[in-house]
Amino acid sequence: MKRAYDLPPKGALARLDPWPWLGTAAFFTVVVFVAWPLSELALESFIGQESQRLGFENYATFFASSYFRRALFNSLTIGALGTFIALCIGVPLAFAYARFDFPGRDTIEVGILLSMLSPPFVGAYAWILMFGRSGWVSEFARGFGIDLPPIYGAFGISMACAFGLYPLVFLVVRSGLARVNRSLEEAAYSLGRGRFGVMFTITLPLVLPALLTAALLVFLGVVSDFGTPGILGEGERFPVLATLAYSLYLSEIGAEPGMAATTCMILLAITLVLVLGVRFLSSRRSVASDTASDLALRALAGSKKWVMTAGVALLVLTANMPTIVVVVSSFLEVRGAVFQPVLTLANYHNAMAAMGNALWNSLMLAAIALALIIMVGAGVGYYISRRSGLLPRALDLLIMVPFVVPGTVLGIGYARVFNEPPLLLTGTYAIIAIVYVIRRLPYMTRSCAAIVFQIDRGLEDASLSLGRPPLAGFRRIVLPLMRPGIVAGAAIAWVEVFSELSASIVLYTGPTRTLPIAAYQQAATGDFGMAAAYSTVLVGIAATGLFIFLIAARGRRDRVVGWV
Amino acid sequence: MNSGPAPHLSIEGIVKRYGSFTALDGVTLSASRGELLTLLGPSGCGKTTLLRIIAGFLQPDSGEVSVAGRSLNKVPPNARNLGMVFQNYAIFPHLSVADNVAYGLRARGIASSEIARRVADALARVRLAGFADRFPDALSGGQKQRVGLARAMVIEPELLLLDEPLSNLDAKLRIEMRQEIRLMQRELGITTVYVTHDQEEALAISDRIAVMDRGRVLQVGSPRDIYEQPAHAFVADFIGGCNWFEGTVSNGELRLGAGPRLACSAAPQTARLALRWEDLRPAMQTDPPQHCLAARVSIVSYLGHRVRLHLRACEDGTELHADLPSYGELPAEGTIALFAFDPQRARVFATDGKRLL
Repeated sequence: MKRAYDLPPKGALARLDPWPWLGTAAFFTVVVFVAWPLSELALESFIGQESQRLGFENYATFFASSYFRRALFNSLTIGALGTFIALCIGVPLAFAYARFDFPGRDTIEVGILLSMLSPPFVGAYAWILMFGRSGWVSEFARGFGIDLPPIYGAFGISMACAFGLYPLVFLVVRSGLARVNRSLEEAAYSLGRGRFGVMFTITLPLVLPALLTAALLVFLGVVSDFGTPGILGEGERFPVLATLAYSLYLSEIGAEPGMAATTCMILLAITLVLVLGVRFLSSRRSVASDTASDLALRALAGSKKWVMTAGVALLVLTANMPTIVVVVSSFLEVRGAVFQPVLTLANYHNAMAAMGNALWNSLMLAAIALALIIMVGAGVGYYISRRSGLLPRALDLLIMVPFVVPGTVLGIGYARVFNEPPLLLTGTYAIIAIVYVIRRLPYMTRSCAAIVFQIDRGLEDASLSLGRPPLAGFRRIVLPLMRPGIVAGAAIAWVEVFSELSASIVLYTGPTRTLPIAAYQQAATGDFGMAAAYSTVLVGIAATGLFIFLIAARGRRDRVVGWV
Repeated sequence: MNSGPAPHLSIEGIVKRYGSFTALDGVTLSASRGELLTLLGPSGCGKTTLLRIIAGFLQPDSGEVSVAGRSLNKVPPNARNLGMVFQNYAIFPHLSVADNVAYGLRARGIASSEIARRVADALARVRLAGFADRFPDALSGGQKQRVGLARAMVIEPELLLLDEPLSNLDAKLRIEMRQEIRLMQRELGITTVYVTHDQEEALAISDRIAVMDRGRVLQVGSPRDIYEQPAHAFVADFIGGCNWFEGTVSNGELRLGAGPRLACSAAPQTARLALRWEDLRPAMQTDPPQHCLAARVSIVSYLGHRVRLHLRACEDGTELHADLPSYGELPAEGTIALFAFDPQRARVFATDGKRLL
């Protein structure tokens, strides 16, 4: 007679624990596509361009040149200024959403999401349209005899980046505030501190790690951004490290490598110092509260709540202004670089004619990359969160590296390493899909690892004890519970992949041009009408994808215990 | 009920509504100086809402809170000079134990030498003298709660407010801590409002208890009054265990079905009789007393200091309990036994809960 406990299959394959093997495979893949290109760049930066000898010659050349020094200084300037502006927008919004109830909260939050959708370089030439030499705001002001300061250079780049990156501040600081237990603030009040006293002695110190993390993310985003300084820096006039590395790389093709690699390494060094600095500062004391925060929001009385709504709405509307300007102007007639108040679809006609297969490339590459990100990311996220030991830790660390490596740096590294056998990939669709995956995989692994951490380990033990092999337990029990984490990670990854510019612009060739590249090129060469049309299509498709993910995420949420 | 001088804490007609839900429905209470008043009730009864109104974190829709004759309604929480201890401890995680305790003193601009002295005193009082430089993440739950107590006491508050301070601690520590709180409160003579849903804790620690249900205070009295002379069926049921019998009052007596009768002078009506579990005791079959009933013993639970019998009344199958001393002879499971009670111990309530007898 067949008894219940005879049921598990006896095959060796079914009983094998597959995770160490999958983990090892993932580790070697990441070594090839992260560690190899970066170490190749590091090595090249130490081979002197003139002497061909190992040493610091290239670094000496870099710091001897006032032009290179200016690029470094400019990068740090826009990083600091952009971070400051993004904090000024994001922190008040985070406070408003974490603490107060006001009319229109949810609707306005969609606006915050929208500003995350459009890549900063789309905003960049919206600024030119408004505040450029012949922009309509500038013209308007000139009519009153006022000359506005130029938008080109540090201030414009910082503003454009900050307007695209402030949602990061909003999200990180808001969740930091939500973790601060309300009774801590109440205890401080009852002990005699006033509103500002409590803010400075309790609330701010407790959200400091979140604030630092948010500032770091924005700073990295600004100094890594290629498109915005490419458009608002007017090429050579306002060089930053990201654009400098790219133009050095272009001028070096065929010539001896060296300075591009050195510039990449200096950019990478800045990001690493900051990452380690923030980790050090925020790891000194764990300030996570031991009980969940009381989530009740404070209702505002009478007119106060409308003041709050108006303030928040105005802030979000301002931050979305560049995107709105781009979308509106894509339907306007353009003469030279000036838009006329005449509605037309001419921009779209021209754009379609010059599109080639850019749109199709983008859709296909983003879809393939997203599918890979979901599969690899969910598996790796599970593995690094459930298993202990050297391999999972090393995999976790290595997979996070591209999160802080500027896209231009990774792109140049790929172009160096994969242009010859054994892995000849330059010019292929594959190399762009791979760089998409590698750059955005961290979102997925983080998101999945976080949710696996909340799933009771006992569920898998129960599945094993009921006779299922390990992989079946993962597929049938853990994977369905991971769904919210996967959807959340995929939503961010989709937007980021679809609008990826800084690595793909290094790696594309004629046939593999993508939509963001097309939009950037039109904006950089000054055909604002077509650029607006491309950007509108870009933002529209990114938004559609994101909202599909958000709808998929809704309604499932309540079924997963412990996921907020 | 409050004899002598004016009460230290006085709560007058507090009403608090959330939309159509009435959290507090005209609560009036008072506490004299040095008294420990407990707000006891099930979750959702309004006790925590009332405490937060006293603390100033919530504004009442109407009514007034005053301490030492001064109305607090317009005073913000940080100017009320009340010490509050939180259910989740609310210890500032980024400050050391000493800085946590010093927080309120610093807010008052007290000289640092004075602060050091008072912090050391307060920590010694809660037996945490060696812990001044520790950080909260290195403390156990009980230690955190002591830091919370020291932090609230050190400012010499007009009133100490404790919001379920022991509910996150394990059973043994809970009993230890409640004795510590009681001793310290008496020693310092500090007027205290203590919120709990744990009836045993309330009985053990309080000078007086206010039993609350659905936003109303049903009874205020000493622990003994509350237990032995419940003014309301809810109070009798919530505190301790009661056997309930349905009956009717007519012609000056209460009849419980075909069973026992008691003298009762109330107007004719249906009524409920409550009898504490410990007031049912086995009677001799051979010589049945006047007030007794027959029941089948379904389970005998040995609880150490006593034995609890789960019974089913023979007459109508009502579930009953009897708590007996754990020494002596016990009826066996499955047998039918006779149980007697003293009518003096029975409490009779009208259907609306009011006490009749």
